[in-house]
Amino acid sequence: MRRALLPLLMLLPSGAAGQVVTTSSGPDAVSVTIYRDPNRDGSQKMQLSWLNGYALISETRRVDIPAGDGDIRFEGVAGGILPESAIVTGLPDGVIEKNQDAYLLSPASLLDRSIGRRVHLRRTSRATGEVREHEAVIRSGAAGAVILQTEQGLEALRCTGIPETIVYDKIPEGLSAKPTLSVRTRSVAAATATITLSYLATGFDWQANYVGNLSPSGDRLDLFAWVTLASGDETSFVDASAQTVAGRPNREDGGRRIMPQASPLSLQCWPAGKTSDIPLVQTHDGAGPPPPAPPPMASPMMAEEIVVTGMSRSAMKVTQEGLGDLKLYRVPEPVTVASNSQKQVAMIDREKVKVESVYRAEIHGGAEERLVQIRMILRTRNRTSEGLGLPLPTGGVAIFVEGRARPILLGEGAIEDKAVGEDVEIELGDASGVLAHVVKTEERKQGSSFLLTASNDQDRPVRFEADFGKDIVAAGKALGRRNGRPLWAVTIPANGRVALRYRTDPTRDR
Amino acid sequence: MRRILLLSTLLAAPVLAQSGQGNVSITIYNNDLALVQDTRQLDVPVRRSKQEFPDVSGMIRPETVTLTGDGIGIVEQNFDYDLLSPQALMQKAVGEMITLVRTNPATGQEMRERATVLAVNGGVVLRIGERIEVLRDDGLPVRVIFDKVPENLRARPTLSVTMESARSGTRPVTLSYLTPGIGWKADYVTMFDERAGKIDVQGWITLSNNTGTTYANADTLLVAGQVRQDQGYDPRRSYRPPPPPPSSIRNPGTETAGRERLGDFYLYPLAERTTIANQQTKQVSFLDVVGAPGRKAYEYRNGWLDAAEEARSADTVLKFSTSREQGLGDALPAGIVRVYMRDARGNAQFIGESAIGHTPMGSELGLKTGEAFDVKVKPVVEKRERIDYEEWKTTERFRIKRSDGAAMTGESDSLRTTTFWRTSMRYTLTNARPESVTVDLTQAGLDNYWGDTRIISESLKSERRSADQAVWRVTVPANGTTVVTAVFDTRY
Repeated sequence: MRRALLPLLMLLPSGAAGQVVTTSSGPDAVSVTIYRDPNRDGSQKMQLSWLNGYALISETRRVDIPAGDGDIRFEGVAGGILPESAIVTGLPDGVIEKNQDAYLLSPASLLDRSIGRRVHLRRTSRATGEVREHEAVIRSGAAGAVILQTEQGLEALRCTGIPETIVYDKIPEGLSAKPTLSVRTRSVAAATATITLSYLATGFDWQANYVGNLSPSGDRLDLFAWVTLASGDETSFVDASAQTVAGRPNREDGGRRIMPQASPLSLQCWPAGKTSDIPLVQTHDGAGPPPPAPPPMASPMMAEEIVVTGMSRSAMKVTQEGLGDLKLYRVPEPVTVASNSQKQVAMIDREKVKVESVYRAEIHGGAEERLVQIRMILRTRNRTSEGLGLPLPTGGVAIFVEGRARPILLGEGAIEDKAVGEDVEIELGDASGVLAHVVKTEERKQGSSFLLTASNDQDRPVRFEADFGKDIVAAGKALGRRNGRPLWAVTIPANGRVALRYRTDPTRDR
Repeated sequence: MRRILLLSTLLAAPVLAQSGQGNVSITIYNNDLALVQDTRQLDVPVRRSKQEFPDVSGMIRPETVTLTGDGIGIVEQNFDYDLLSPQALMQKAVGEMITLVRTNPATGQEMRERATVLAVNGGVVLRIGERIEVLRDDGLPVRVIFDKVPENLRARPTLSVTMESARSGTRPVTLSYLTPGIGWKADYVTMFDERAGKIDVQGWITLSNNTGTTYANADTLLVAGQVRQDQGYDPRRSYRPPPPPPSSIRNPGTETAGRERLGDFYLYPLAERTTIANQQTKQVSFLDVVGAPGRKAYEYRNGWLDAAEEARSADTVLKFSTSREQGLGDALPAGIVRVYMRDARGNAQFIGESAIGHTPMGSELGLKTGEAFDVKVKPVVEKRERIDYEEWKTTERFRIKRSDGAAMTGESDSLRTTTFWRTSMRYTLTNARPESVTVDLTQAGLDNYWGDTRIISESLKSERRSADQAVWRVTVPANGTTVVTAVFDTRY
């Protein structure tokens, strides 16, 4: 009786009756706005194979809306799409529902969805090359455990030593090559509409990259900056309007998300031990086939293609505008954000920015006698009077100095987001010619005494700063303060040294 | 006879596998749980019969299954998960006869013989006539053909019910069960017009199905609220921590939304039947509000003794209400609010997102959308020193009754040393925006250890929001700086 019902049921398609499927193959115009990885600071480089920022992608598409119930499928969206963030506007009668199907066509899903269906079993004779096809019904296929029912009985697939495979008649419904976003519509009449599809997608990132040329005198910096944006997505966005956003938009853990499943098929057989197998180590019972190989990497290797747009010193520069409490940088011309690629567009080009070079030592309690590591710091203030006065987004800094008719790399540092008016300090690395030497001269319960000597081997004076712990009191000299801690700022004369006696005060908290 | 029967069923098997589901109703809860009710037309013979129910959820909790139907009594329910595989098939064939088909590698000629499976331990040991052999020991091709599928071996975990019926005939039978792997949350699209102080909010229900089963043409009802679940260990369900408390609600509301309710839960029925496919994320609209008031605020929270070498950005907070008069006019089920603003060209750009818990109507919400590029706070511990002072303290009162009956009372004093730590904080607030801003600056952690914390002096009057937190409302002029200082006395 139940079987008799089946043909009747098959007349009624599951889902809505008379649903027309239309496909939008790609966008007519697209805008890509890239946001930084919120957990990557300026000193960490972008890993092109592991981009953890994201992008807002807005696509303009022309779609044909069928009369009655329709299903519009959007192809060519970013592979890293977050389906719950998708917004579709411009459909005259709105959207009944949005769907994203992540059940992908793969050898394993093809088998899994064909359980209970009739397929063909194709066997090729190794001796004669003769090909024979048999009708079969797949009785089981979970995790590669394939049991086929033929007219002769039940057989396993490829446990026999005979070349054999399953041939399918058609692709089961609901399996697609890529995760596909679709909307269900209902319209009184057929129409063509221009719609906007926007969504967030993972697998993008960007940062600023600063290149500075320091004058030989060490007090003027020509500062140039790139916007470096990267896409690790499989989809290329051609002639896109490209933007990047600086600042830190809040992100939430989106909870469990359905990940596309496209598993390879690894067939299981019964135990195949032979008399010649000598078990040296008993690994597991049944000595079945080896475990399936791990699935191959889903994404192909990142092509190391670097596109530099804009000639030296900025034929094209991004423009900056406010976006609420964030900063938006817009590439003025349409560009192609290609899959697995990095692109750079000029952002900042300022000459003769006033800077100050400082050698800084951080001095806390410690051993009897020691050398303290000193770091070179380039310091300025983000103001018009210093030659800056514009938002500086997070990024790496490379500082070169002119010398012997060729630039020499002085060091690499990083800056975090700096608003107008803020102090900017770029740490460039450890100094070798300016040294700080600390000797403990007296130890007492009420506080120990120390002597600090800083020396300079250069033939010009340098600025030196000793940044002390909170429990330090200087003997004889009044110290300045920074960030709540005593600071000794002094100029070391050319090829000279300076000294300071100080002691610790145990009544003060470190 | 059995052979012929098998063949006939084989040939009758439909080319297209049709779902075994009937009329499906599905009730989906927020916390990864759904109640599936599936009414199937079942041809039940009189007296005892065993019925199988294909196409139930792949993650079904079999202990929650109930089956109801007219004139049907349940004898037993079985959930069989011994799966049909080559290894299981061979192991169940121990002691049974199988057919071997040998292929001559030179000529391709086939030769059939019958064999008995003696053992399946590491390899397959067979008896063929009087000989004992190991299957495919010589590596030559041998096909193995089994006669039947053993009982209880199935392609997929299958629910089967043995039932007793007083009469025969087709009748509706309702199967209902709970299943994890399907859940829903809300996603909100908020367009913020800062200049007008307005927000447009669209709410979407996002449901996702990971159960391995497609529910065709289902009557769907969503329930907003966490139902308590038995915490028994279920290996098929990965551990998921409970959602964090909804910190975004600044003032919980007391209004009742005009939605269908059941007890404490709000119900969101889908307007029409829908097919919830396996591995699908589905979104259906449930809220569309235009022009509700919304405004931006800045907040910064400093932990106890937190200091910064570089100024840190203040949080940008979007504030709005869900009240009928002044806001969205609806209760909001838990989910994520994504906020967009228009850029200079009028295109919507994403400016941040924030999670909300279940929010009653009439609530005041404050959502952190991000950190401000231009508004920063630099907290500095200016000084922290120990202060010892001595105080006289009455430590005991006593009364002594002497043996002669006279009573004596008195007090005993002692000198006690008390240690305090005095902490001077300085907060430098900077604003690079062309308009003045107000920052809610919070110093938290005042309730640490015994909580005996006092503010000795401050440059701006603070509001002590709780034992733990003091809040200053600081106005920072356009492109300017404001400094707030405060001195705290603490026990430690």
